[in-house]
Amino acid sequence: MANKWEVFVMDLGELAEGKELELTIRTLNDGLHKYTYQRAKVEVSSKLDQFADSLQVRLGRGQLSDRKFSIRVIERVERLPAQYR
Amino acid sequence: MAKISAPKNNREFIDACVASGDAVRIKQEVDWDNEAGAIVRRVCELGEAAPFMENIKDYPGFSYFGAPLSTYRRMAIALGMDPASTLPQIGAEYLKRTNSEPIAPVIVDRRDAPCKENILLGDDVDLCKLPVPLVHDGDGGRYVGTWHGVITKHPVRGDVNWGMYRQMMWDGRTMSGAVFPFSDLGKTLTDYYLPRGEGCPFATAIGLSPLAAMAACAPSPIPEPELTGMLAGEAVRLVKCETNDLEVPADAEIIIEGMILPDYKVEEGPFGEYTGYRTSPRDFRVTFRVDAITYRNNATMTISNMGVPQDEGQLLRSFSLGLELEKLLKSQGIPVTGVYMHPRSTHHMMIVGVKPTYAGIAMQIAQLAFGSKLGPWFHMVMVVDDQTDIFNWDEVYHAFCTRCNPERGIHVFKNTTGTALYPHATPHERKYSIGSKVLFDCLWPVDWDKTNDVPTVVSFKNVYPKDIQEKVVNNWADYGFRGAKK
Ligand SMILES: Cc1cc2nc3c(=O)[nH]c(=O)nc-3n(C[C@H](O)[C@H](O)[C@H](O)COP(=O)(O)O)c2cc1C
Ligand SMILES: [Mn+2]
Repeated sequence: MANKWEVFVMDLGELAEGKELELTIRTLNDGLHKYTYQRAKVEVSSKLDQFADSLQVRLGRGQLSDRKFSIRVIERVERLPAQYR
Repeated sequence: MAKISAPKNNREFIDACVASGDAVRIKQEVDWDNEAGAIVRRVCELGEAAPFMENIKDYPGFSYFGAPLSTYRRMAIALGMDPASTLPQIGAEYLKRTNSEPIAPVIVDRRDAPCKENILLGDDVDLCKLPVPLVHDGDGGRYVGTWHGVITKHPVRGDVNWGMYRQMMWDGRTMSGAVFPFSDLGKTLTDYYLPRGEGCPFATAIGLSPLAAMAACAPSPIPEPELTGMLAGEAVRLVKCETNDLEVPADAEIIIEGMILPDYKVEEGPFGEYTGYRTSPRDFRVTFRVDAITYRNNATMTISNMGVPQDEGQLLRSFSLGLELEKLLKSQGIPVTGVYMHPRSTHHMMIVGVKPTYAGIAMQIAQLAFGSKLGPWFHMVMVVDDQTDIFNWDEVYHAFCTRCNPERGIHVFKNTTGTALYPHATPHERKYSIGSKVLFDCLWPVDWDKTNDVPTVVSFKNVYPKDIQEKVVNNWADYGFRGAKK
């Protein structure tokens, strides 16, 4: 099943297309873990059928942007230093 | 002192509020995703009874108690007073109790600690097992801590701090929060843990007794466990944590134990704030790694929903900031008649009444107020004389608009401490907690001739002889007046 994601940006320019990005995204899938975050390498596209998952965007003060994207999560990035894992 | 009989824990408090009509039980299912937050917000804006939501979607067995102290009635109930007590009465009681002898906490056995009824350790630790609400749509995350205490200890001085510092769930094991550098915890981190690169043990307690919560957000110099004891008139019961050496209130509903990491930060915010806005930007903030969760059976999570007036942030912080300033000014021998903050100023304006017995008294008050531990939390001080009723905004506003000289009565203080939450500050100032302040001096200058230079207040009570006033008042109905329509 396709996943729903959300990202906070200050500027839509942060969501460049056609290259790999590293973003902090949160899941909007229903269930107990809704709104939890992860850091991930992703690719985004303004063509909504480009990737299976969808990405919704919020701006600096939580305003929902009307720009929608599709997204491919390439891999998770673990920023937490190893000694705390 | 007469025996105080205040609710000892969150459950007794809910019962007392339900009994007096100051809380409602909501039996129907409420969604943790926005709905509970929307209920609490509307309750705050309408001044309604506190919602006790007993059936939460996805989280059987848990409940929410929202807007616990957003009215003076509930504040009076929390203190064990008559719910109909007036604000000056509640204030006088707070001053009496917090000027009494500190009452040290007692340590109880874990078998007598309800917060140990359920214990999650190791791989079982997951904050998503708690009904962490999405308080406002568009918030940066679900907030675990909105009405709670973050418990820490200074490793050298040994003093314990319970502070209400918001905490967002980043993932099931991680929270991040806005711990300001001038707060007690902020100072412990910058003074000790951060320079050494050591983790700081913490415990978050949710569903505290209302007086413990009051202490956790009061800007008092007294350590909060003792302060809670003084407010309650008896010792608080503490119990040892599972994974560190801290002690937590045994009757709290939920405890989250862990470590503040010195070298790792995750994003926090934006969040709906007490100013009535979302102001502070999303940023990398103090990060809490969770090692254990313990909770009572049928645990109740407390929720404050900050936004436009009035919520408990505004009500309680206005109350305690004002009274703590009154104590400070009196300790310096300044003849103040009282200090008051209107909750709807979102605790930004101190109104101080004083007998203007010497020159520069308003400036001295402002310097003490802005220079104290309380100072970062407000940016306006308005000083009025002892004839002005500080609780009556009509009188204060009249004094301000007529006596505050635009050239000599307004004093701006630059380069002071601010907070990331000030809506009027620039983005740069918010990031570095840079502030500015203003004093509105509404006193008649002492070097004006009292008889010939100081204007006379033209009011019924001030210009007519007592006998005429009495005659008019006594004859009022006979003249044909039936009471003005408001
Ligand atoms: C609902 C609520 C949320 C608060 N959130 C924060 C916060 O995120 N960071 C902060 O430094 N203070 C926050 N405060 C203010 C502190 O609780 C307050 O300054 C308290 O006195 C802590 O004091 P201490 O640092 O002097 O111990 C909040 C207060 C309330 C009522
Ligand atoms: Mn403190």
